[in-house]
Amino acid sequence: MATTRTRVSSFSHNVSFLKSSQHPGLKNGPNGTTFISSGISDLDKILGGGFSLGSLVMIMEDAEAPHHMLLLRNFMSQGLLHRQPLLYASPSKDPRAFLGTLPSPGSSKDDTSHKPSHEKDLRIAWQYKKYFGEPQLNINTNNGGHHDYCNDLDLRKPLERHFFTSNNVDCVSIQNSPNLDALKDRCAEFLAQFSRNEGSISSAGRIAIQSFCSPQCKYSDMEWHMLSFIRSLKGMARSSNVVVVVTFPPSLLSPSCSKRLQHMADTLLSVRAIPDEDKELAKLLTGYQDMVGLLNVHKVARLNTQVPVILDATTFSIKLQKRRFLVFECLNQAPVDGSGGSSYGNSGVCSRSTKVGPLDF
Amino acid sequence: MAESVCRSLRDGALEGELAPDLTIKDSLSSPFGFNVFSHILVQLSSHIVAGKSQSRGMVIVSLSRSPSSYTGLLKMNGVDVESSKKWIHILDCYTDPLGWKDKTRKSGDIMDPSNQILSSYKTVKDVNKLFSVICDLGRGLVGENKSRFCVAIDSLSELLRHSSMQSVASLLSNLRSHDQISSIFGLLHSDLHEERALAAVEYTSSIVASVDPFHHSVDGQGSYIRNSSEPNLTKGKLNIRSKRRNGRVRVTCEEFKVGPSGISFAPVSAVDGAAVAGLIPKVQFNLQLSEKELVDRSRVVLPFEHQGNGKPIQIYDGRRSLEESNNETTPISGGKKEESGRGEIIYFRDSDDEMPDSDEDPDDDLDI
Repeated sequence: MATTRTRVSSFSHNVSFLKSSQHPGLKNGPNGTTFISSGISDLDKILGGGFSLGSLVMIMEDAEAPHHMLLLRNFMSQGLLHRQPLLYASPSKDPRAFLGTLPSPGSSKDDTSHKPSHEKDLRIAWQYKKYFGEPQLNINTNNGGHHDYCNDLDLRKPLERHFFTSNNVDCVSIQNSPNLDALKDRCAEFLAQFSRNEGSISSAGRIAIQSFCSPQCKYSDMEWHMLSFIRSLKGMARSSNVVVVVTFPPSLLSPSCSKRLQHMADTLLSVRAIPDEDKELAKLLTGYQDMVGLLNVHKVARLNTQVPVILDATTFSIKLQKRRFLVFECLNQAPVDGSGGSSYGNSGVCSRSTKVGPLDF
Repeated sequence: MAESVCRSLRDGALEGELAPDLTIKDSLSSPFGFNVFSHILVQLSSHIVAGKSQSRGMVIVSLSRSPSSYTGLLKMNGVDVESSKKWIHILDCYTDPLGWKDKTRKSGDIMDPSNQILSSYKTVKDVNKLFSVICDLGRGLVGENKSRFCVAIDSLSELLRHSSMQSVASLLSNLRSHDQISSIFGLLHSDLHEERALAAVEYTSSIVASVDPFHHSVDGQGSYIRNSSEPNLTKGKLNIRSKRRNGRVRVTCEEFKVGPSGISFAPVSAVDGAAVAGLIPKVQFNLQLSEKELVDRSRVVLPFEHQGNGKPIQIYDGRRSLEESNNETTPISGGKKEESGRGEIIYFRDSDDEMPDSDEDPDDDLDI
C-alpha cells in the first residue's frame, strides 16, 4: 500500500518550489532567504535551492585544473540571462574578453525526455527512486528560454552579445592595481544599488571575482590586506541582495591565510583535478572516462538560522555531458577497504576501528 | 626522450589559448635540470630549423650561462646556428645583468655589432622591460604576421633572485597570453626558493617536469640515509605533470641517464603506485576478502556439521546413554547416512522396532 504513493525521496528538504512572483530569477528559500541560481541545476539541488542572496561563496581552485572557470561561467551567464547586473573582476588584462566565452542556454530537451520513460518501464521500489533523479523538476525548467530559474547552459554555445553589451556588466582588471582599495570602492558602488530594505526584492546582483590571489597581482603577498578586503566585502554583501562568488587558489597562500579565507566563506566549494588515464581510479570509480574533475562541498550557507546543513555526500564528480553541459554526479565507488585512511574528512566516523578483522561487520 | 613534452612544445598554442609553458624543476639531490633543459632546447631547435614546429624562431634568455655556451651546445648537436635565415636570438643577461660595468666605465654599452644573434640586456630587475625586449626580439625574428616564436628562460631561479615573485609570475602569464608566442620553457631550482614562489611558478605553468633522484623515497629519514651513502650521479627520474585542456592532469614518469654524450630517457621500469587515496572519500565496508580471510573462511566448520568437539552429531533421546548409542549407530545407520560425508544425524524414534523406511518419512531423504 505504501509503495503506490509516488514519493521521490524519503529524506529531502522541504524546500518550497513556488517561484517568486516578482522575478523568475529569484526563488524563496527557508528562513526568509531568497535564492538565485548558480547556473548549474545539479549544484542548485545540492545546495538546497541555489545561492542565498547576501552570502559569500568561495571556490577553492586547484592549481592544475581550470574547473573553477566552468563554475564562474555558468554563474555569470545565468545572471545575465535573468538581467541581473554583474560585476566581474579578474587578473587578466582584458576581462571583457572572458565574456565572449560565457555559455548560452542550450536546447537540451532530448536528454530530459528519457527520464520520465524510466518511470513507465520500470517499477522501482520507493527507496531507490531517489537515485533516479527528479524528473518532474526537469520538465518544469525546460519551458522556454529565459524565464526559468535555472537554464541548462551549453558551454559550447557563446552567449548572445546583447546580453552583455548593455550597462549590465562591469569588468575590472585587478592585475595592475597595487592594492585592493580600488576594487573595494567599485564593489561598494555596485552593492549600493542593491541594498536591502523592508520592501520586496526588486532585483538581485552578482559579483564574480576570479583568481583572487593570483601571483601576478601586486597585492598577492599582502595577506592581511586581502583578508580585510574579503571581510569588508562579506559585510557589505550581507546587507544587500547580491551574491558574491570569489575563486582563489589555496596552494598559493600561507596555510593560515587560506584557512581564514575558508572560514569567512558562507558557502565553500572546492574543485580538484583528477589524473588522466589512471588505472587505479578507473577501477575505483565507474564513469571515470567522462569525469573531468571532482567537486567538494565543504560548507553550505545558512542565513537566519543556526541549523547547519548536513549533506548526504560531499564529493561529486564533474562531468561534461555531451561535452556541453556541466553536471555534478554522486560518485559511484567500488567498495574499498576502509582501513588505513580517513573517511569524509576525519570527522564523525562511527566505528573508530581502523583494522578490518574477520569479525567486523 | 621526454617525447610528450617536446611534442607539446613543438605543437605550441592554439588560437585564443594560452601558450604551453614548461617548468623544469630540479634540486640538489638530483641536479640534472640543465641536462633536461638543454636536451629540450636542442630538440626544439632542430624542429624549428627543419620547419616542423609551430614556432619559427627562438629567443633564449640566458641568465645563468654565457651565450657562447648555448651556441656551442647547439653546434655540438648539429643544429645550424649561423644559417642564413635568422631563427635564434640570445638575450645575454649573464654578462652584466645589473649594468655594473656601465656604471664603472664611463663609456656607453659596448655591443658587438657583428654578432647578429646576441644582444645584451642590463636591467634584469625591470621585468616589464624584459618582457618588451623579448617580444621585440621575437618579432624581429619571425616578422609581424601570424608567425610565432618560442622563449627559453635559462634560469627562472635567477629571475626570482633579482625580482619579486609577482613580477616573474606576471612576466610568465604575459608571455603565455602573447599572440605570437608559441611555447615557453624555463628551468627552476626548487631548493633555492620558498614554497610559495615554487607554487606560484607551477600555477602559471602548464607542464611541470620535476627531476627527482632515482630512489625517490617518501619518508624523510630514508632519503637522508640513502643520499648520504650513495647519491646516484648518473641516473634519475623525470616526473611530468601536464595539465590537459579538459582539466585532467597527465602524470608520466621516465627514467633518465646522463652520460658524456648527453641525456637519454627510458620508460620507467617499475610502476610507482600513484596515491589516489586522497582524492575520493574512503568507503567503510569491504566486499572483498583478503587472503587471510579466505583461509579463515575455509576453516570454519558450519554449525550443523559438528557438535563442537569433533564428533558426529548425536541427538540424545533420553533412553540410552550417549556412549551406547555411539556404538550402535554405525550398523543401523545404513547406506543413506553414510553418504552425508563428515556429518551424521542419527535419529532414534520412540518406536525402535520400526524400520526407518516403513514410515515413509520424506525427511529421510534429506542428505545433510
